[in-house]
Amino acid sequence: MAVPVIMPRQGQSVESCIIGEWHVAKGDKVSAGDKLFTYETDKATFDEEAPSDGEIIAVFFEEGDDVPCLLNVLVIGEAGESWEEFIPEGATADGAGAGVAKTEAAASVPEVTTKAEAAPVATTAATAPSLDGEHPISPRAKGLAAKHNVDLRMTAATGPKGRIIERDVEAAIDAGLVATTAAGHDYAAGVAGSGIGGAVRVEDLAKLPELQSLEGAALIDQAVLSLDETEYTDDKITNIRKVIARSMHASLSEMAQLTLNASFDASNILAWRNRLKDLKERGMDEKLGLAILDRIPTINDIILYAVSRTVKKYPDCNAHYLAEENIFRHFNRVHLGVAVDTPRGLMVPVVRNADLKSISQISAEARDLAIQCNEGSINPDKISGSTITITNMGRSGVESFTPVINPPETCIVGVSSTYEKVRSGKDGGIELYPAMTISLTIDHRALDGAPGSLFLQALIQTLENFDLFLMGS
Amino acid sequence: MTKSLPINPEEARAPRMIELQDIPVNQYQKTVKDEKDNFTKEEFMGIYRDMRLIREFEEMLMSIKTTNSYQGMEYNNPGPAHLSIGQEAAAVGQAFYLDKNDYIFGSHRSHGEVLAKAFSAIRKLDDAELMEIMESFMDGKQLKAIESIREDEESIKELATSYILYGILAEIFAKETGFNQGLGGSMHSYFTPLGIYPNNAIVGGSADIALGAALYKKVNRQPGIVIGNFGDGSMGCGPVWEALAMATMDQYETLWEGDMKGGLPLIFNINNNHYGMGGQTKGETMGYGNPARIGAACNPRQMHTEAVDGNNPLAVIDAYKRKMKNIEDKEGPIFLELITYRFSGHSPSDADSYRTEEEKDAWRAHDPLKTYPEQLIEAGVATQAEIDAIDEYVVGKIIQSVKLAIDPVISPRMDLQAEPRAIEDLMFSNQKVASFSDAEPDMLQTREELKENVRVKQIARRERYAYDENGKLLTPNRRYQFRDGIFEAVIEKFYEDPTLIAYGEDLRDWGGAYAAYRGLTEAVPYHRFFNSPISEAAIIGSGIGYAMAGGRALVELMYCDFLGRAGDEVFNQLPKWQAMSGGYLKMPVVIRVSVGSKYGAQHSQDWTSLVAHIPGIKVVFPATPYDVKGLLTSALNGTDPVIVFESQRLYDVGEQFVKEGVPAEPFEVTIGEPAMRRTGSDVTFLTVGATLYRALEAADKLQEEYGISAEIIDARTLVPFNYEMVIESVKKTGKIIVAGDATARGSYLNDLAQNIQNLAFDYLDAPVQILGSRNWITPAYELEDDFFPQADWFIDLYHERIAPIAGYTPTNNFTDGEILRRSTLGV
Repeated sequence: MAVPVIMPRQGQSVESCIIGEWHVAKGDKVSAGDKLFTYETDKATFDEEAPSDGEIIAVFFEEGDDVPCLLNVLVIGEAGESWEEFIPEGATADGAGAGVAKTEAAASVPEVTTKAEAAPVATTAATAPSLDGEHPISPRAKGLAAKHNVDLRMTAATGPKGRIIERDVEAAIDAGLVATTAAGHDYAAGVAGSGIGGAVRVEDLAKLPELQSLEGAALIDQAVLSLDETEYTDDKITNIRKVIARSMHASLSEMAQLTLNASFDASNILAWRNRLKDLKERGMDEKLGLAILDRIPTINDIILYAVSRTVKKYPDCNAHYLAEENIFRHFNRVHLGVAVDTPRGLMVPVVRNADLKSISQISAEARDLAIQCNEGSINPDKISGSTITITNMGRSGVESFTPVINPPETCIVGVSSTYEKVRSGKDGGIELYPAMTISLTIDHRALDGAPGSLFLQALIQTLENFDLFLMGS
Repeated sequence: MTKSLPINPEEARAPRMIELQDIPVNQYQKTVKDEKDNFTKEEFMGIYRDMRLIREFEEMLMSIKTTNSYQGMEYNNPGPAHLSIGQEAAAVGQAFYLDKNDYIFGSHRSHGEVLAKAFSAIRKLDDAELMEIMESFMDGKQLKAIESIREDEESIKELATSYILYGILAEIFAKETGFNQGLGGSMHSYFTPLGIYPNNAIVGGSADIALGAALYKKVNRQPGIVIGNFGDGSMGCGPVWEALAMATMDQYETLWEGDMKGGLPLIFNINNNHYGMGGQTKGETMGYGNPARIGAACNPRQMHTEAVDGNNPLAVIDAYKRKMKNIEDKEGPIFLELITYRFSGHSPSDADSYRTEEEKDAWRAHDPLKTYPEQLIEAGVATQAEIDAIDEYVVGKIIQSVKLAIDPVISPRMDLQAEPRAIEDLMFSNQKVASFSDAEPDMLQTREELKENVRVKQIARRERYAYDENGKLLTPNRRYQFRDGIFEAVIEKFYEDPTLIAYGEDLRDWGGAYAAYRGLTEAVPYHRFFNSPISEAAIIGSGIGYAMAGGRALVELMYCDFLGRAGDEVFNQLPKWQAMSGGYLKMPVVIRVSVGSKYGAQHSQDWTSLVAHIPGIKVVFPATPYDVKGLLTSALNGTDPVIVFESQRLYDVGEQFVKEGVPAEPFEVTIGEPAMRRTGSDVTFLTVGATLYRALEAADKLQEEYGISAEIIDARTLVPFNYEMVIESVKKTGKIIVAGDATARGSYLNDLAQNIQNLAFDYLDAPVQILGSRNWITPAYELEDDFFPQADWFIDLYHERIAPIAGYTPTNNFTDGEILRRSTLGV
């Protein structure tokens, strides 16, 4: 007797699951307990097993189809047996997930949404994905997010129907989720990011049409945040986070990345900046004729400058590792990639020949490039060809982190926030000093930990004695 | 409802017969020859000239409507033209004795009456008065337009005749130089300086308006009579019957005192042309045989009803002479039927498929433009040559008018591209006129005596702020109530404006259903404050006529649900006449409308939205004693129609917001400005009417139980409405619920919500929500909490559609599914 196998409901809040992989095909003989297919909720992947012996006489969906729970997925029976009666709504023919939606709107059962007579449920934080996998957002929340540069991908959606509302953005601001700007409206699920940390870059979006496929659909977020305030908080995993996760994982699995952290005493660079500020305040810029006072370099500028000079002594760190071509390309000049957050996503404009430029020139150029990136007016030539990249999370209060290499470079320099650290003072007591962490991720295929750590140490010494370094260079 | 007139059971139950007197029909059978000694030749010839001018005027319009040309001049007039060809004798006969102090009101078919009345009034005015009128009316706009022919005119009266023909024709052609700037048109052409008041495109629409004008004449002791002209078809219209009822109330004789005792100076003039459009009133659509039968039934005096030959101008003149004497003897109102016939169709587009050519031919033998000149010649009053000369003069006069009226330079149309606010500026007059007369107001109590008035003394004992010094809410009897605010605003106006009259159902003696008027009976005489019949259309319509004629009317509908009974008056008449007069008329009518509760489906509806939908009415809905006094005072000082909605839930509320209490002296609250009732930061509630108090309750609960701070704004006025305060609030809170007691679908709440959404979209954290009543009948009082918005509805709606509240469980269903389900079912 023909037996349909349904898409199980894994929890009350799950409305549909994505078929991950088929272990059987139509015509296969199966025994009870054999794996039929895997399916994914937003939380986990499960295997569905055959409930009985028999032959697979009908398959209604394909891998990647988003199948509403409780719908028939396949039928086990005897060869030649009728299965048409089990065709679920939305699938019209055997084996083809025809009509099965790639989007939430169609994947949900229409009758439920349009004719529901159910009494209202006391949902406090129900979320549901919108058509493109993003959460809808109120105009007010959108405005607030833009003002504070809040990453909406990281934001919970506690408004009605999964809408991000003002309080969600306020919570994100409180949580400090303001470091990176979302690729936002331009972003669509299924785009593999090639930028730092797997971020979706503008050029990635150009590939959108061909990539908007099953995998993309599979990423549609159906997570429902269930909240138990006393024990823990489950936050929804956003789609962009999933993409980043996959890209990062791919990056890490293809490369041999290793991150080295070292903190340094930032007193010197801070004092140096303060001195410049002081001079400027006293109107010394004109008297001294110092161009550097026109625009006082930022901490990031200082690090760019330090890297541009220091890395020259470590050619393996200013290189491209092109494994497939069997080439390890060392550069004569230093082209600094500078990670910039823009409304269109993370972009990495390049300060070319940085090793030949003064700190003022680097500062001005980095600033101009950032503006052009933000305005979207940047020449595409200026966002490629870097030899080493600097990424700065200094504004987000991060103490140290693991930057992910911008391939095919061999290194990336991550800069964290300044914070107070203690150390033993000269008189045996404890003293506070401003500390910063440099996180250097290296491609272990290209260089070993030791030379990497040498570069890191050199960089730190440069920064700790920055005023002297400037004098000497 | 008056103790002075006891109902005696012996009398009521005694056997007797109600006797009807015979109704004279066509008793006058004289011709020119018979009347030769009673009219001058000039008068006889004048009658012919006027009839001939009207005939040519109408035939000119017929020619333009059907052929786009007249006498070789090309013109296309797409607007309406309901012609009275054949009815000239009725119009000219009626006008014969009338001067500018007599007011006529008309129908869609009133070109003839308008012209006849104007020609008659011109004859009776001296040249200086005529020039004064022509030079001052609309700053001489029409006079300037006919400047080019001015020197050719033999006399000022001839100039005035040309002036009238031009002004009416330009109006029919929708020209800015028309008497109403082209905003009235054919069906609403009029000229008040000569006592010609609005014609009306609604059949029978003038009946209750004319009644109101007659009330104005009587109450304000103004000279002249009022004539309401309508056709036989209008005898099927309810408001006409209501006007007849209210015009013949016994109280004019039994209760009105002194010189006010006696009937109204009003003639209901039925031009019986035998057709209501195509429906034949005699033999088909009515059962009266003659309309006169109806008039004769209205009161013991039978309204001096008579039917006369409307095709004989002399018969009509004779009837008017006698009827005007009746009015002088305070025996009005009069019902007069003029039997006539129109040769033209209902309008030029009417193919006359409902009558035969034989019938029309038969009547052509009775055409007054055929029979009257024959009589003139036969009686030796005129020669054929003299008749021909008049005919030639008339054609020349009409050609001249057409030439001027179709000239786009002399007679331009309103240019709404160049002056986009031209009509907008006419919708409301927005003036403040404390009093429309210098006369001493008729009152029963002096202002000094008023201090001893039972109501005034009662109010004096009450606290003008609802809370005592310890913040405790005073009992109703200790506090100044909403109804006291109404009383104070109204009594003050009675002393200030002698033209103010107030009436409605059950007001005198009883003080109105909600005792707002208690105390007025002792202070105000009958003719300024009286009970009307249960005739809502006539209550409102007469108020319109009263205001149109120059007074100020305060009328009342006991329940909002009765608005439907006055639908034409509220929707078609009241809001239209200021703009349709080109800004010449003012409409100081204030309508108090009580919005019920507890009384079920036909006595508990909030129909503010229906009124707010109609352009030209101001709509206010005060919710506090301070506001009702201030808004009513503003309304009563203004020159625009204002409908004041009052919730029956609120008549005894005290003043909870203005800590200084409600001032005893008069003050105004600006119409159109909402009031901030409570400041808050998380969500805004914009409320209409009594819903305010449930919003306050919801705000308290939100604050106490969930720490959510609600800001509350009381709309106070729906039209006009200044959104600034609301928008500023939404910029702060990002969330808003617009709430009122009207059934939600199609309510004005949606309009408010739409505008807020437009104006504050970028500040919104959730879609603007509206909270109205369910789209049901209003159920019994015991079930009302499931029908009208309650405090918890606010919180449920907030939770479901604005920002879910942790741990909150709603009891009302505001989900998408429910919205769709209800919409699908239309409930």
